[in-house]
Amino acid sequence: MMSKILKKQGKLNQISATGNILLNVLFIVITIVCMAPVLLVLSISFSSEEAIRHGGYSFIPQELSLKAYDYVLKAGDAIWRAYGVSIFVTVVGTFLSLAIICMYAYPLSRSSFKAKGFFSFLAYFTMIFGGGLVPWIMVYTRLFKISNSIWILIFPYLMNAWFVMIMRTFYKTSVPESIIESARIDGAGEFRTFLVIVLPLSKAGLATIGLFCTLVYWNDWYLPLMFVTERKFFNIQYLMYQTLVSIQYLTSGSAQFSEAAVVLANLPTESARMAIAIISIGPIVLAYPFFRKYFVKGLTIGAVKG
Amino acid sequence: MKKMQRSLSFALVLIMMLTMIITGCGAPAEPAASSPAQSASQAPASSQAAEVPKEQVELTFYCVADSQPDMQKICDAATEYLKDKLNVKVKAENFGWGDTYTPKINPMLASGQPVDIVFTANWAANYRVNANAGYFVDLTPYLKDSPIREIVGDDFLNGSAINGKNFAVPCNKEKVHNWGFLLKKDLVEKYNVDVSKIKKMEDLEPYFDAIKKGEPGVTPLLNVQMEGPFKLLDWDNISDDDIPGALYPDNRDNTIVNQFETPEAIAMYKKMREYYNKGWIHPDAATQDNFSEEMKTGKYFAVVQSMKPGKAEEMKLSTNIDWVQVDITTPVMSNRETTGALLAIPIGSEHPDIAFKFIEMLYTDKFLKNLFVYGIEGEHYEKVSENVVRLTDNTGYRAGNGWRFGDQFIDYLLENEDPDKWEQFKAYNDMGIPMNSLGFAFDATNVETEIGALKNVVQKYYKQLFLGTADTDSTLKAFSEEMKKAGVDDVIAEMQTQYDEWRKAVGK
Repeated sequence: MMSKILKKQGKLNQISATGNILLNVLFIVITIVCMAPVLLVLSISFSSEEAIRHGGYSFIPQELSLKAYDYVLKAGDAIWRAYGVSIFVTVVGTFLSLAIICMYAYPLSRSSFKAKGFFSFLAYFTMIFGGGLVPWIMVYTRLFKISNSIWILIFPYLMNAWFVMIMRTFYKTSVPESIIESARIDGAGEFRTFLVIVLPLSKAGLATIGLFCTLVYWNDWYLPLMFVTERKFFNIQYLMYQTLVSIQYLTSGSAQFSEAAVVLANLPTESARMAIAIISIGPIVLAYPFFRKYFVKGLTIGAVKG
Repeated sequence: MKKMQRSLSFALVLIMMLTMIITGCGAPAEPAASSPAQSASQAPASSQAAEVPKEQVELTFYCVADSQPDMQKICDAATEYLKDKLNVKVKAENFGWGDTYTPKINPMLASGQPVDIVFTANWAANYRVNANAGYFVDLTPYLKDSPIREIVGDDFLNGSAINGKNFAVPCNKEKVHNWGFLLKKDLVEKYNVDVSKIKKMEDLEPYFDAIKKGEPGVTPLLNVQMEGPFKLLDWDNISDDDIPGALYPDNRDNTIVNQFETPEAIAMYKKMREYYNKGWIHPDAATQDNFSEEMKTGKYFAVVQSMKPGKAEEMKLSTNIDWVQVDITTPVMSNRETTGALLAIPIGSEHPDIAFKFIEMLYTDKFLKNLFVYGIEGEHYEKVSENVVRLTDNTGYRAGNGWRFGDQFIDYLLENEDPDKWEQFKAYNDMGIPMNSLGFAFDATNVETEIGALKNVVQKYYKQLFLGTADTDSTLKAFSEEMKKAGVDDVIAEMQTQYDEWRKAVGK
């Protein structure tokens, strides 16, 4: 009886053929659902405005046109500069932010740390209460005087209480107290324990938080909006945001002054929006494959292995 | 002990959270405490102090319009030009249009950053709100003997004032508006429309009918959201377009009415219902949301637009369609125009006197004004004749939009523009009747909740009525009832009280 069932099932732990097919189909469908909009956006961004107006959206451009990219990239050097700013801010910001977050979270995960309650509260407090917009701005412009510098795009996001909480929990669950103890018995100091024992064990957590930080920095347009008045510190998202909003404003009909009409002449509105989306996705899509390895690990590490 | 401490701290946190929730909404309203007094006491250095300041100061100037790659060149040129006049280092920048400009400028004003000149208007950087909050320097004493007074004109200047004080200087541009139709030229010719005989919308009906029958694929009348024939009633709205409360546009009395329930409005709803049933309005009108995109398709015969001289030629540029302009309503000067484009000096400015002189030059100095509109001669444009320019292929500076600041009538003209453009503008401006309400600003603080509720009600019903997509009588009945429930009477009463008080104060 038992052997019969086993034969039917094939190898142990292997799913049945129909199950396999079903799962594959399911994932193919999910992939299509995820990819189709991106492809559509890509296609529209290469379509001519006329074709969109008359024929609507389609997956294959009816009339190829680069006008949208021409319009969006007309800023020329500004775009590449903004890309540079974004990449610099993302890389440096992620690194600094990750360093601060995991150093802040580590002591909070240790039960032997006496002032744990106070520091947890300090972080937790900022999650509920903020100083308000104007004081927040004044701190950076008046106290630190770093508006209109590259640091204004990095500093405000360095510390994130929510990520600290995640990281603390991660240390607690994935780094057993006994390992730290054994390190201490072997004569390692706190820093050595942290750098040599704890951090390597927390790679998956670091990668997860790192990806979050990367996204925060890459997707940010709010800091340039609030603080930066010099164009050399505009990042790509803000530049694209500005272009997008301008298009919306000019086409909304609320442009009450007809001179706006002159600007509107031959403005590729629909396709330009899509071109903006494609441009701002930019290199960040490349970050995903890099983090994926750790991401999967991070997800499965707590799961029951069979 | 420890337990008590914990519960105590929990209670504390709870209290703080509650206060947060309660005060949360009002956060940005706190003005820099000293502002009005401070600005009042700042004695203006009157025009006699015309000597050039010895030390070069930095002058920041933020404006709407797309950000331009060659802005730095313009600033350098302006700095060079002003060297022996104001001796300032100009730092100008554009931050896009309303939706990117306003969130950038408002925090700057609120945090008192040292900015010298900002663009403000009823549609960008909330002129009235910011002026009332005390973020702008009171320019009334400066304007007393300024040449700006003569250029812009007293009634326009007073119209942009708040309680008799000018917190910003309005641009000298078209100062009146009227409404009318743009008709598609090829169809006008094909159907022999005698444009001179069209005085009201009804005069177009035979042509609507003929076009509906003769031109498959063409909708006779474009009516999208609020951009449609309802505009022809030209209500002098006290607040926004979607808030009840308006005066008749002919100064007949000083009674504020609910414009959505007037006999004129109801007649218009019925008319629109009739047009919709006849197929003169697009069957999908209720879901269309992009007026200018629809207009560009060329599938419409008549489009309602706010008019001014040369409107048809301007719209030809943006739509690539030839239009014929038909004026319907009388030109009027309303608050919409007086606060349409202004320059203000924030209280954070360290050199308000110099900033004001710079603003003054935008009205009097042809070179400086055109530098900011067209860029550098020989690089961004070349002169065709004394007053006419041609843009070059260098697109590094295409700010344009001379209506944003200063005196638009000293701007150069483009080749395709009517050489008499500014004369026509002036004549058009002179035609306008100033509205009784000119200079009145409604303060909505007492009825904020009602206004919010009314906005929702209007948004819910206006399309069915304005576009004629549903039965007029039953919709109107439901609309009226919901407006009543939302407190329309209180709002209009509040408007009336404030309006009467204001009239008494200014002696109208």
